[in-house]
Amino acid sequence: MSVVVGAVLLVVAVILFILQPMLSGRRASLHREMDEPTEAESRRRITLLALRDVEYDHATGKLDEADYHALRKELAVEALAALERVDFETAAGLGSAPPELENEIARLRSGLRSGSTCASCGSGNDGASRFCAYCGASLGAAVGGPSPQGSPSDPA
Amino acid sequence: MNLLGELALWIALPVALLGAVLGFVAGRHQRGDLQLGAERSVYAVFGLTILASAGIISNFLNDRFEYLYTASYSNRELLTWYKVAGLWSGQRGSLLFWLLFLMLFASICVWTNQRKNREFMPYVVGVLCTIASFFLIVLLFADVNPYERLGFTPANGQGLNPQLQSYWMTIHPPMLYLGFTSFTVPFAFAIAALVSGRLDLRWINVTRRWILLSWFFLAIGIILGMRWAYEELGWGGYWFWDPVENASLLPWLSATAFLHSIQIQESRGMLKVWNMFLVILTFLLTIFATFLTRSGLIESVHSFAQELKIAYIFLAFLFAIAGTGVVLVLWRLPKLKSENQIESFLSRESAFLFNNLLLLSVLFAVLWGTLFPLISEGLTGEKISVGPPFFNRVNIPIGLILLTLTGIGPVIAWRRASKQNIKKNFTVPVGVGLAVAGGLFAIGVRHGFALATFGISSFVMTVIVIEFFKGTRARARIENENWAVALTHLIARNRRRWGGYIVHSGVVIFFAGIAGSSFDVNIRQTLAPGESAMIPSPLGHEYKLTYEGMSTTSATASNSNDNLAFQLVALLRVEKNGKVLRNLTTEKRGYIAQNQPTTEVGIRSSFLEDLYVILSDVPDIRRAIMNEPDAQTATFTFMVNPLVGWIWYGGMIVAIGGLIGLWPSGAGALVRAPAVASARISKPVPVGAADC
Amino acid sequence: MPKNGRFLVGLVGVAAVVTYLIWTGVSQTMQYYMTPSELVAKVSVDPSFHEVGVKVGGRIVSGSYRKGGGLHGFTVEDPEQLSVTFPVEYRGDLPDTFSDRPEMIVDAVLEGRFRADGVFDATTVLTKCGSRYEASPEALRAG
Repeated sequence: MSVVVGAVLLVVAVILFILQPMLSGRRASLHREMDEPTEAESRRRITLLALRDVEYDHATGKLDEADYHALRKELAVEALAALERVDFETAAGLGSAPPELENEIARLRSGLRSGSTCASCGSGNDGASRFCAYCGASLGAAVGGPSPQGSPSDPA
Repeated sequence: MNLLGELALWIALPVALLGAVLGFVAGRHQRGDLQLGAERSVYAVFGLTILASAGIISNFLNDRFEYLYTASYSNRELLTWYKVAGLWSGQRGSLLFWLLFLMLFASICVWTNQRKNREFMPYVVGVLCTIASFFLIVLLFADVNPYERLGFTPANGQGLNPQLQSYWMTIHPPMLYLGFTSFTVPFAFAIAALVSGRLDLRWINVTRRWILLSWFFLAIGIILGMRWAYEELGWGGYWFWDPVENASLLPWLSATAFLHSIQIQESRGMLKVWNMFLVILTFLLTIFATFLTRSGLIESVHSFAQELKIAYIFLAFLFAIAGTGVVLVLWRLPKLKSENQIESFLSRESAFLFNNLLLLSVLFAVLWGTLFPLISEGLTGEKISVGPPFFNRVNIPIGLILLTLTGIGPVIAWRRASKQNIKKNFTVPVGVGLAVAGGLFAIGVRHGFALATFGISSFVMTVIVIEFFKGTRARARIENENWAVALTHLIARNRRRWGGYIVHSGVVIFFAGIAGSSFDVNIRQTLAPGESAMIPSPLGHEYKLTYEGMSTTSATASNSNDNLAFQLVALLRVEKNGKVLRNLTTEKRGYIAQNQPTTEVGIRSSFLEDLYVILSDVPDIRRAIMNEPDAQTATFTFMVNPLVGWIWYGGMIVAIGGLIGLWPSGAGALVRAPAVASARISKPVPVGAADC
Repeated sequence: MPKNGRFLVGLVGVAAVVTYLIWTGVSQTMQYYMTPSELVAKVSVDPSFHEVGVKVGGRIVSGSYRKGGGLHGFTVEDPEQLSVTFPVEYRGDLPDTFSDRPEMIVDAVLEGRFRADGVFDATTVLTKCGSRYEASPEALRAG
């Protein structure tokens, strides 16, 4: 007998649990949350990480100078394009970057141009730095600008 | 409890179906309330499945032999832990067990995505509930309900097969099932991406993490199975290319391929169709694995009895999944076009492509060999089977090339690598590889496979060590950290790369462990008490094993396991080059209600080799148990297995590497620059310090 | 396009090598897998089949186990056609799950060849772990 009662209670509880949102109007979100990256932001992140990989590959002797500079130029162009796309989204209110970060994006962009903003973590560094003080990545993923460092680190 | 559990299954089916409908409708019509209902259905089905599982365990613990399933896999004397494990001992319970884990992962997926991936979740929930419904339909309507009653109550159950009465039974199947069932989630996301049309980067990250998780569990599960076989089956072997073993390897292979090719899609926007194919294939293979095990279609020492009804149902499900996948991918083909091309033959992308090709070749070969009896019977009418010689013949060369690739990948840059730099970077590793192979050849090793494996392993290991060395040195210099700290930070900053290298080094050690089997020693000798056997080890020393005699314990005296009828233990004294070591025992055990004695082997493991002793034959067990003096002679098989321990060490290192890759990073979190920095800095843009 | 062309060549090359490996692998290691009835029939039709290595799946006849001369001997029957039986000789160690007790149903997979003297010379004997079979209600009722 207690089993029947238990079973009935179980069924009722489950039905109520599932149907309650439809009855009370509670909703689950079906849209991208504010702090989730958009496609453009994901792309930006990936291009910046690719820049870091290129720095590492050059530093460990897998890329020679010519290839290194060429690749870095390509990637920096892509990174800037991605940044601009993110910029555009922010202006149009599509992106997740709140307005105050617009300054950050501008800073990042100019930093990339001048070679003092770390491509990996986005921190600013003194102009003469060879490596980012905060995350250790090699600096100098500049677009066509002179790289602040020669060939750094190891003789491989 | 058990009645409630039985009922829970019946309630779960309509709930799961409801959840599927709610999910798909919510996605189609963008109804947030329906979506919430769908997500709650997932939790509800999970709760009901827990109830159903608890009911089965309660049946075992309370010796309710009126249930067919309990009576088949338990008896009163069974150790409590094996009664609990009864949930997955047999066909019926293991289906419920699969569903339990499936709903666990579904619930975790829904819970962790409450504020993420919202555009996908309706379809994800829809797919998850559909698959859950399938398993519930099988459980309830395919004559495999673990709650099926006999109609009478036997006095005692049949008991559990003694080969399953091992602590391995409690870890290997659960670990495998964790691996198999967790592949359902990335599959659900793939389908959701296809249906919703959102085929850009966003579904990649979530899928990749889940597949890494499943890959991790599956790898551990497979290695545990190998160790279990090695310890319990008593032949000194650990892999037999048995159909069920092969079936568990297949999804692991495609998952490994995916983990590599996904990086190409991320960075270059290529291989989108290929990656979709891999995700769907991997899930298909997990269902295929359970299908193969349950249907008994292929002869295997592992498989459950042949049950045609369930075979057909699973086959239909497989076709449905494959068909859905094909249709969806064809529909979305325009959105899956590659954005770029591979720039250079000499690039990491190229190496990854090659890796994928080889992994899928192994997959195909294993699948072909496993299904060959069916294929040949279909085509020629005659059943032809291929065994370990076939699999070894085909897979060893491919495996060796794959192993070589793991040493090439790290040295080649993305996009395009410079030829001169590659030559420069390969000099030392190739030199080491050749030196090792040459050195082994010089001391008399002629086994081709062993030479190749050790040479290539040394090559790869050198590459990896140099990578770690260079990276740590660079970082230590810049950050002014000591090398230990530098190494830790290096790994933490780029878990994908360094975790990957650790996995590769584990694979290398694993392969070396397998190569050791080329030098196995196997000697069979009959000894009377007091007699010794001299067993040489390939490493140069010699073991002397002296058979001291047999001791018996009987059911009344044994207090380790109520289920034991007798234990016949042979004691051997071990000496290595004259030095006395710990004794080894090997025994024959008899279990109540089973009538079949099992053999327990004696293993002495050291870093470089295992000494493995099997009590192969006791001419007259009955009289030996009575301690009759003239029944004490026994035949032993003595084995020395060089480097077999490296298989387990290698596996552990692979697991650690996987864990590092899985470890949640601060990706997406804001990286704050310390106040001491230049005035220009306020809030850095979130890029993520680590990339996974 | 030249770059894609090179990849295509590589792809075809790998596929060709793998196909070759599988083809030769199968042809050199394949084994017929037969029931006892099929084996007996095949041998009566084609006497050279006595030399061919085969795989046979059959059932151990209860009470048929004999040991002698360093060999294990037992009889195997076809579960579908109980009249078809033949004796087996095996030199190695029998697996733990082997049994010829009347109350057990033990299926075996043998590898070896069917000699001209009508005895199957087994090189491998694998027996199915019995309790993977669910207990039949009759067996449970009996005890």
